Amino acid sequence: MRAAMAAIALLVAACSGESAAPFVVANIEVTEPMPGRGMSAGYMTLTNNTGSQITVTDVRSAEYNNVEIHRSTVEDGVARMRRVDKLEIPAGSTITLERGGLHLMLMQAEGNPDAVSLSFYDGEMLLMNVVANIVRRAD
Amino acid sequence: MGPRNFVIAFAAGIALAAGIFLALKQSAPQQLRSAFVLPAPEVLPDFALLDQAGEAFTPDSLSGQWDVVFFGFTSCPDICPVTLQKLTLARRQMQEAGIGELPRIVLVSVDPEHDTPDIIGKYVNYFGDGNVGVTGTLEETRKLAKSLYVYFEKVALEDGGYTVDHSPAVLVIDPDGRYHSGFGSSMTAEDYAYDLSILMGVY
Repeated sequence: MRAAMAAIALLVAACSGESAAPFVVANIEVTEPMPGRGMSAGYMTLTNNTGSQITVTDVRSAEYNNVEIHRSTVEDGVARMRRVDKLEIPAGSTITLERGGLHLMLMQAEGNPDAVSLSFYDGEMLLMNVVANIVRRAD
Repeated sequence: MGPRNFVIAFAAGIALAAGIFLALKQSAPQQLRSAFVLPAPEVLPDFALLDQAGEAFTPDSLSGQWDVVFFGFTSCPDICPVTLQKLTLARRQMQEAGIGELPRIVLVSVDPEHDTPDIIGKYVNYFGDGNVGVTGTLEETRKLAKSLYVYFEKVALEDGGYTVDHSPAVLVIDPDGRYHSGFGSSMTAEDYAYDLSILMGVY
């Protein structure tokens, strides 16, 4: 019930067009799928304007068969990449998915899409849908 | 200010300007920002790998030009493309600075089991046609990695997948095919361009 209320609250706020939406996904940069394996990386900021924590457990995309949340680290001269179970965005905070850190790994692109849709979930509860242009390599 | 004080101040000013000029002339342009240089260049041992065309890639293949060598794999969406992108930008900045001789970018697969010559070639040529993708057997890859002090290890993940932990270093091979210098971890494109220009003696 609480989850449903939260979902409705998010939806209402998102539709109202007010600037301070409860959950804001911005500065989205999804790279062009890499030739060879059709794999992209997604970078963005996630802002929680509510008074309680927002948790993202899954991200889905129509253009990719699989999306995972990953974290790259470089420690003691070794670069590692590991899957992260969830993103926790504390009340009133912004977290950043950036190069060399937390990022989305988007796998098996369907063709070479120009835009990407991303749906953010907490379990089965849809938090947000966004669409962003895919960033082509600058020549 | 009396004439004597004026002379002293004037002389001090001259000395300061001369000092700055000498400091800039002597040290600043040659001061590496982040690269390390080997005390003496090291000859690479024999190894037999393949380039993206499926042709032999041996120590001889690294002779004749400056090479920047990075170890990565094509299932790596973040650190590997980011590093290759920075090296590509560094090359462009060097070109725009009027430097005629540019380093060649070489990507060696740490996932040779999955990265065929065709796949590694498509991946590395995404960043530029002149780049070289290298793969082969695990054993031969280890020979090259070991000679460059590069660590890599395949790691099984709980969900059944895998990843490859690897050194993010960028190694510089001189035109005699010797391990000359390198960068321990990721730098900005500007730093790569600046240091590579010094290392290649074209600054």
